Amino acid sequence: MYQYSAFDQRFVEERVEQYRDQTRRYLAGELTDDQFLQLRLRNGLYIQRLAPMLRIAVPYGLLTAAQLRALAEITRTYDKGYAHLSTRQNVQINWPELRVVPDILADLAAVQMHCIQTSGSCIRNITTDQFAGVAADEIVDPRPYCELMRQWSTYHPEFDWLPRKFKIAVNAAQADRAAIHVHDIGINIRAGDDGRPRFDFLVGGGLGRTPVIGSLIREGLPEQHLLTYLEAILRVYNRYGRRDNKYKARIKILVRAMTPEKFRAQVDAEWEHLRGGPSTVPEEEIERIKACFVPHPYEDLADETHLLARQRLADPAFNAWMRNNVAPHNRPGYAIVTLSTKATGVPPGDVTEEQMDAVADFAERFGFGEIRISHEQNFILPDVPQKHLLAVYELACDQALGQANAGLLTDMICCPGGDFCSLANAKSIPIAEAIQRRFDDYDYLHDLGPLDVNISGCMNACGHHHVGHIGILGVDKRGDEFYQISIGGNQAEDASLGRILGPSFKRADVPDVIDRILAVYVDNRLDGEPFLHTVRRIGIEPFKTHVYGVAQPPALRRAG
Amino acid sequence: MDDEWTLVEEGDAAPGLIASLDAWRQNPEGAGVWVEGDTAAEEIGPLVAAAPVVAVRFPAIVDGRGLSLGALLRSRYGFEGELRAFGDIIPDITEYMHRCGFNAFVLPDREQAEVAIACMGRMSDHYQASVRQPKPPFQEPTTRRP
Repeated sequence: MYQYSAFDQRFVEERVEQYRDQTRRYLAGELTDDQFLQLRLRNGLYIQRLAPMLRIAVPYGLLTAAQLRALAEITRTYDKGYAHLSTRQNVQINWPELRVVPDILADLAAVQMHCIQTSGSCIRNITTDQFAGVAADEIVDPRPYCELMRQWSTYHPEFDWLPRKFKIAVNAAQADRAAIHVHDIGINIRAGDDGRPRFDFLVGGGLGRTPVIGSLIREGLPEQHLLTYLEAILRVYNRYGRRDNKYKARIKILVRAMTPEKFRAQVDAEWEHLRGGPSTVPEEEIERIKACFVPHPYEDLADETHLLARQRLADPAFNAWMRNNVAPHNRPGYAIVTLSTKATGVPPGDVTEEQMDAVADFAERFGFGEIRISHEQNFILPDVPQKHLLAVYELACDQALGQANAGLLTDMICCPGGDFCSLANAKSIPIAEAIQRRFDDYDYLHDLGPLDVNISGCMNACGHHHVGHIGILGVDKRGDEFYQISIGGNQAEDASLGRILGPSFKRADVPDVIDRILAVYVDNRLDGEPFLHTVRRIGIEPFKTHVYGVAQPPALRRAG
Repeated sequence: MDDEWTLVEEGDAAPGLIASLDAWRQNPEGAGVWVEGDTAAEEIGPLVAAAPVVAVRFPAIVDGRGLSLGALLRSRYGFEGELRAFGDIIPDITEYMHRCGFNAFVLPDREQAEVAIACMGRMSDHYQASVRQPKPPFQEPTTRRP
C-alpha cells in the first residue's frame, strides 16, 4: 500500500483549503454557477438529478482498512449510510451537501485520500488490475508506475483543461483485467530482454457514442521515458483535439481523423523535444516510489490443497464460491478473494456502511489490512491465507457479500442510470435487478460459465455496454425507455466491440430476450466453449433469428 | 492596475499598442502582439522573440490551448518578454497560466487581481516540471523531493 510522503500530505491539505475558499466565494456570490462548476468538477463534485454526487479517488483501486472505515464514517456523517463503487475503481457518495464538501475533503485528507480530478476535462484516476502485486499471472507490478503517473498527472499546469476527460489504464499481467483497449491511453507493461520493464502504448480507445479499440503507437518504451512520452501525447491532444463538439472531443476522434500513423508521427516529433529532458525519470525515483509501497509480512505458508478439497466437497455453495470468486495468488498458501456486491435487489456496486466496516475488518483479520476495488464494482481481499477461506466465505455471506457469481451473468457492470444520473435516457438498476431475479439458479449460472453483462443508461456508456459479452443500452424513444441489446463485446486482451442485435425492447421484455440469447448459446456451444467464443464462431444471425423470429411471442413486441 | 499597454483588436500596430498578428507583422517596432490560444507556436515562436509583449486570448475558462502555447513560447522558443493572458479568465485559473509561463493577467478589477495573487500562492509545491519550476521535484535536492 502506498504511504504518503510529507509532500503528498501537504499537497492534499492545501488543495482542501483551496477548495474551501472556492466554495466560500461561490456561496458569497463571487463566482458564478458556470465558473464554480469547473472548479468543483476538478474536485469530483457533480450536481446530479436529485442532489450533488461526490466522487472520491481511489488511486488504482487500492484502499487500506483505515481508509475504508473512514469512507463508512463519511457516509454516516454526511450521507445516507451507503456508497457506490464505480467502474473506475472509485467510490461515489450520492447525497453530500455542497457546503459541507470541504469538510468531507478534510476528513479524506486525514486518511491520505482526496477527490482531485475525479471529474472534469482532465486526466482522471489511473486504473489497473485489481489483482496488481498479487496475481499469479503478473509480469511486472504496475502499481509504482501508476503512482508515478498519478503524481505527474495531479494538478498538471498544462493538461488540466483538456478538450475532454482523459482516462489511462495499465495492465501488466498475462490476462488484461484493466480493459486497456478501450481507454484514451492503455499501457501494457511487459518484461524486456534485459529484464527491465517495457511499455507499449495504445491510444484512442474508448466507449461512449463512438466505441473504438485503441491503436498501438509505441512498443517497448523503457521506463525512464514514461513521463516525457505521456507529455508528448497529452500536448498533441491538448493542442489539436476538437473543442467545438463535446461528442467529438475525445482523443479517439483526433486519432481517427489524423489516422493512427500520422498521430504517432506527431507525437514522436513532439517527443523528440522532450526526450531526455528534465522529466526523464531516474532509476532512483522509481526505486523511491517502489519503497513507498511498504511490503507485507507474508508468512511461509504451504498450499492447503487437501483442506480445501474436503471443505469444498462438504459444501457445494462454498465450492461454487471457490470456483468463481477465488483467484490464485503469487505466493503459496494465499489466495485472492472477490467479494461480490451483486446481490439480487441491490444496485450493482452499492455498499452500506456496515458492509464497508465489515470488509475493513476482514482485511485486517485475513490479510494485511488492504482492500481493492475492481472495475467490475466488487471488493477484493488480496491476501487471504487459504486456511481461512471458508471463514471468510461464511462471514461474507452474513454481510450479503458472499455471492458466488464473480464473472458470471449476475455479476453485472451497471451505471447508476436514470434513478440518479441526469444524463441517462433510461434506468439501468431495475434492469440489473430483473435479470438477477430471472436467473437466480446458481447451477444454471455456473453451467453458462463466464459471462459479462454490462448495462448503460445512455450512450455515454458508463456501464461499458459495448464490451459486455451481452451489452444493454438504455435509449429514449418518444419519452419511453427502451433497451438496445448487443452481443460479442469483450474487454480483455482480445478486446472486441459488441454488435447490435436489432430493434430495441421494452424494459419488461429484457429478461426474456436474455433468456432467448442464452438458449441459442446452450444449443450451439461446443464442449466447454464460453459464450463469447460461440458468438464469434457462429456469428449473430442465429441469435437474431431466435430473438426476433417469425414465431414471435407477444411478450417480444418490437419497439420500432 | 495601471497598464502601459492598450490592446487593439483591429488596427495598425504602434508603440504602446498590442496589435493583431497581421498588423504587428507589418510594423513590429515597439509594439506588442496578441494571438488566439490555438495559434501554432511553430508559426509565431521564431518571430516574437523581440516583442515586448505577447498576449494570448483564452476564449473560455475550459480552453487550455493557450497553456500549451505559453509553455512552448517560453520553453522552446525562449521568449522572455511579457506573456499576458486575456479573455475569459477567473483568478483560480491564473495559477495554471503562471506555471505555464504567463506573467501578466487581464482581470476585471483590483479585487479579482488580489484574489488571483492569493490563488497563485496557495500551493507550496507541485509534482511536475513547469516553466516556473524547470525541474520536477524528483530532480531537486533531497529536501524538496516528494
